[in-house]
Amino acid sequence: MSQLAVAEQDSAASTAPAAPIRQSVVSLTGITKSFGPTLANAGIDLSVATGGVIGLVGGNGAGKSTLMRILCGAMWPTLGSISFAGEDIGFADYGTGEAQRRGIRMVHQELSLCANLSVAENFFLETPGDAASRPGWRALYRARAREALDAVFPNNGIDADAEVGHLSIAERQMVEIARAAATPGVKLIVLDEPTSSLDLDRSKQLRAFIRQRAKAGLAFIFISHKLQEIIDIATEIVVLRNGRTAWQGHVADASIGRLVQLMGGDANPVHQHTVSAASAQDVLVRLSGPLTAELGRDIDIVRGEIVGLAGLEGSGQKELLHAIFSPDRKQNAAVTRHAQAGFIAGDRQKEGVFPLWSVLANISIGALARRPALSLVSDRANRDTAAGAASRLRLDDRRFGSNITELSGGNQQKALVARALVAGTPIILLDDPTRGVDIATKQDFYRLCDEIARSGRALVWHTTEDAELLACDRVLVFAGGRIVRELSGEAITESAVVGASFTLPADGHAGAGHKDAATAGLGRKLVNAAPFIGLAAVLAVMISANPAVASIFGLDLLLMPALSLVLVTAAQMFIVGGSEIDLGVGAFASLVSVLSATLLYDQPWLGALALVAALAAYAGLGGVIQARKIPAIVVTLGASFIWVGLGYALQPTPGGASPEWLSALFNWSLGMVPTSVILIAAVALIVFVIDRLPLGVVLRGFGNNPVAMIRSGWSPTRYALVRYLIAGLFAAAAGLSLTAINTASDINSGNSFTLLSVAAVVMGGCSLLGGVISPVGAIAGAVTLSLIGALLGTLSVSSDFNAATQGLILIALLTLRSLTADRRSEQ
Amino acid sequence: MNAVAAFSLWAQRNRWIWAAIGVLLLWLVLSIVTNRFSLSSLSGIVLSASFLTIVGIGQMFVVTTGRGNIDLSVASVITLSAFVALLSIKGQDANLAIGVAAAILLGLAVGALNSLLVVGLGIPAIIATLATGYVLATATLLSNRAISGFTVSPALKYLASGRISGVPIMAVIAILGVAATSFVLRYTVFGQLLSAVGQNRTAARLAAIKTGPVIASAFIISSVLASLNGLLLGAYIGGAFLEMGQPYLLQSIAAVVLGGTLIFGGSATAVGTLFASILLILIVTTMQIVGLPPGAQDIVQGIVVIFVLALAGRQAMTRRAPVEPTSGGSDVAVPAGDRPA
Repeated sequence: MSQLAVAEQDSAASTAPAAPIRQSVVSLTGITKSFGPTLANAGIDLSVATGGVIGLVGGNGAGKSTLMRILCGAMWPTLGSISFAGEDIGFADYGTGEAQRRGIRMVHQELSLCANLSVAENFFLETPGDAASRPGWRALYRARAREALDAVFPNNGIDADAEVGHLSIAERQMVEIARAAATPGVKLIVLDEPTSSLDLDRSKQLRAFIRQRAKAGLAFIFISHKLQEIIDIATEIVVLRNGRTAWQGHVADASIGRLVQLMGGDANPVHQHTVSAASAQDVLVRLSGPLTAELGRDIDIVRGEIVGLAGLEGSGQKELLHAIFSPDRKQNAAVTRHAQAGFIAGDRQKEGVFPLWSVLANISIGALARRPALSLVSDRANRDTAAGAASRLRLDDRRFGSNITELSGGNQQKALVARALVAGTPIILLDDPTRGVDIATKQDFYRLCDEIARSGRALVWHTTEDAELLACDRVLVFAGGRIVRELSGEAITESAVVGASFTLPADGHAGAGHKDAATAGLGRKLVNAAPFIGLAAVLAVMISANPAVASIFGLDLLLMPALSLVLVTAAQMFIVGGSEIDLGVGAFASLVSVLSATLLYDQPWLGALALVAALAAYAGLGGVIQARKIPAIVVTLGASFIWVGLGYALQPTPGGASPEWLSALFNWSLGMVPTSVILIAAVALIVFVIDRLPLGVVLRGFGNNPVAMIRSGWSPTRYALVRYLIAGLFAAAAGLSLTAINTASDINSGNSFTLLSVAAVVMGGCSLLGGVISPVGAIAGAVTLSLIGALLGTLSVSSDFNAATQGLILIALLTLRSLTADRRSEQ
Repeated sequence: MNAVAAFSLWAQRNRWIWAAIGVLLLWLVLSIVTNRFSLSSLSGIVLSASFLTIVGIGQMFVVTTGRGNIDLSVASVITLSAFVALLSIKGQDANLAIGVAAAILLGLAVGALNSLLVVGLGIPAIIATLATGYVLATATLLSNRAISGFTVSPALKYLASGRISGVPIMAVIAILGVAATSFVLRYTVFGQLLSAVGQNRTAARLAAIKTGPVIASAFIISSVLASLNGLLLGAYIGGAFLEMGQPYLLQSIAAVVLGGTLIFGGSATAVGTLFASILLILIVTTMQIVGLPPGAQDIVQGIVVIFVLALAGRQAMTRRAPVEPTSGGSDVAVPAGDRPA
């Protein structure tokens, strides 16, 4: 608590009495946010006036993101209040939706677009209000997207119908900025590192746009590490440091030097040791080939030195770290490693900690991972090893028993360093390790790095904080995936690093990649065409064996049974579109079939009621899965037993009868075209229409990027319910068709549909990761699969092989897909 | 009050206790309500539960590898293995070694196939194992045609259904298996690696754990145990029939989840799986005694699985809520701890 008091004093002392003459849009007062023992924000005040452009600066971990999340309603503060135009709002009623209604929009650093949707559809997600589901709603958003993009970035050349996934990072950034700016009723736009991926011209366009809109009264918060941009664009600057306001004032009173100092200049690491002359056998890593082509020579990393990796984010630094860590991947022939390497990740949640374990277990795993799998573990031995490492790190070993997640970010990071130390590898790779770590720990950390290096290990250190590079013996500057400069000793300065970061490598290394991509593209096209080729092949074989198949009656006889699978496939497709799989969909269809052949036949009203109840239960399942974040696979598997159980209880043996109206529904004829073909085409059309509706777009958005959808104010639970309701309706239709076609029901009749529907969906080109609906392909796949039995019969193969054939087709397709897919995303 | 707090803390680390309490309570209620329950009827339940435990332990290894991994091929493996055992042993004790070897080989082969699909090709485990199951279904149909008669080797029959002073041999086998599994999980490097891989696969890879072999071995263990279970189950029922493995699909998952193993991976308890197996069999037996229609058993099992998952889901969420602000930058926008549901 004493820290807090100090913070308030601090901010009180340093807050400049800048008088906002203009009306305030929003103000935050006394914002404090604690995460366990860490204070991410401590007593921060921030007021945004209409037409104001606030430059928000601060190092990593200064509390900028936390403050902005609180402002945007994505997080609640521990203490503090928020007011809009003087009106106080309780945080209890404040959330992302409310923030948006009040005109706050944020452009996130990690982009919040759905990559599987078009630019125009992404515009729709942000401002859905105007799209009453009337035809042509896309045109409205297409026009709006074009207009908004042209307003901010003239001559952008972005196609509003292009899929966002096909745009470059810079183009996506532009779309996102334009989308936020074009929102009707927007009052404040928060831009988090908006220019990090934009080139100079686009950055100038953006700043010109901000100036122009600010004149019109729109307010901005501009977060950037590029201080000259801040000085150029901001009217007021807020400097955060360690979760507190370090300075707040008019831009005229600020200079780059002053800001750097305010952001924590004194935390700068000092280079403390020099490498003793290296001999050839001390070389631990050698970098060569295209990676170092710019330099014209190989780079050796030797024992006892700290090598920094610098450059703009995403220029190849992380890739090099991973290449050194596992050099056996084919494209990394440029990296040779002569000793074992340990890895210390800065993204602790995702790549570092084992959240269920104690601190001790988190440390010891470093040593255990390198031992034979069947050797024994001893707590005492672990403790002894870990204690040695921990004492060097000033990590209290009384905390060994605590769960790792109870530690502050800094101490978690120490535990990860201890893990690397107990592993005892000569090479240690650091991936931005001081991210979100407080200054005191950072100092410890720099000291420790020096110590480790002095003990004869090599450290390869990727950092996003240029100042940290001063602690290194050498710095390799990256641009465009290559090392473009090597700085050492006195030559390492922030300006030298920044200068070199913008060097463009002489040749783009895209040449080789293009050819590979072309081959993979061809492979993918072939896989995508598989259901159609398969269907054509199956039909061709059957017709050649028995020409009667080609008649209207023959086709109808053959395809009518496929209708049920087509419907189940449609249901499964919507579930898979949400990156889940329903293992109970076949059983549900059977249950509906039983209900319709028994209750619906005997007592229509009761039957209808039971059907509605079953549908409600099915949709509710989706809600439970989403609300409790539990695996859909197990829940739907459990549900399948419920469906089957209900079916058995109603009808222990196959039987029942189809209501007349139901049979009539599936039993008519146009004479010229087989009824089954018309019905199957109708199903495809319905799926297609749902998918093209705004609803379909939202569902696909959730399948691709639920975080972005939640940020845009969409309710995940509501749409999970809707998704399962749609799937349930298709599955129910499948059940009714079973009853009508078989004129009786059997609770086991839909058993095989579950796997087949997944196979058909995969065949049709839907990704199991979600977000893709492809009605025609999936339905062609379903028809093909349901013909397998008849095909085997034609070829006089025993029907015993039916299941195996279907299983093998699924395995073969998934194998092909995984071989042709872009595997980079899998990491 | 303090004792309650201490217990809840202890129970958090020893989640198997809930299944054990469940067994005890249901047992007490049944003993009081009906007088048909005795120690000998308990031994019958334990015998049935032993078969489930063996499959459950295998399933537990797969679930613990995380990312929603589940082995859906166990049911087909059990059935096929029972047929293969009948075909290879032909009712002769002399052929027992061949039969056991065949069962183990079958398990190894299916496990290797599953591992290849899941680890090698990156196919989601449920799809891969579901597809494998279908291929095995055809193999089962073929062996069903090939089979001439249902005679079981007497030695195997004794192993599967015999008792030593009232204690089923199968129960002893299952308990030994549970003890061995607990030891492996707690005191060997493999157990630690498995837990690490299940908690955070990326972190495990960066901690120099070879994640592929760890995951593959889980699938192999699952298939081998399912296969051995099929061999014994066939001997117990004195034959084999199509779909005989089917009930074990959901029940094995239910036993794992109910026992306290986290469905999200990373934490397993063999003892919990044992108690949960007994509890499940007890529930099924109760329903048979009460005389519920055949479908009701399925319904109750399905509801138990969903209910337990819905309860456990929340626990895992709060457990994993991010604690620190700045590195959670790319996490979900609304951390679980920050706002009410």
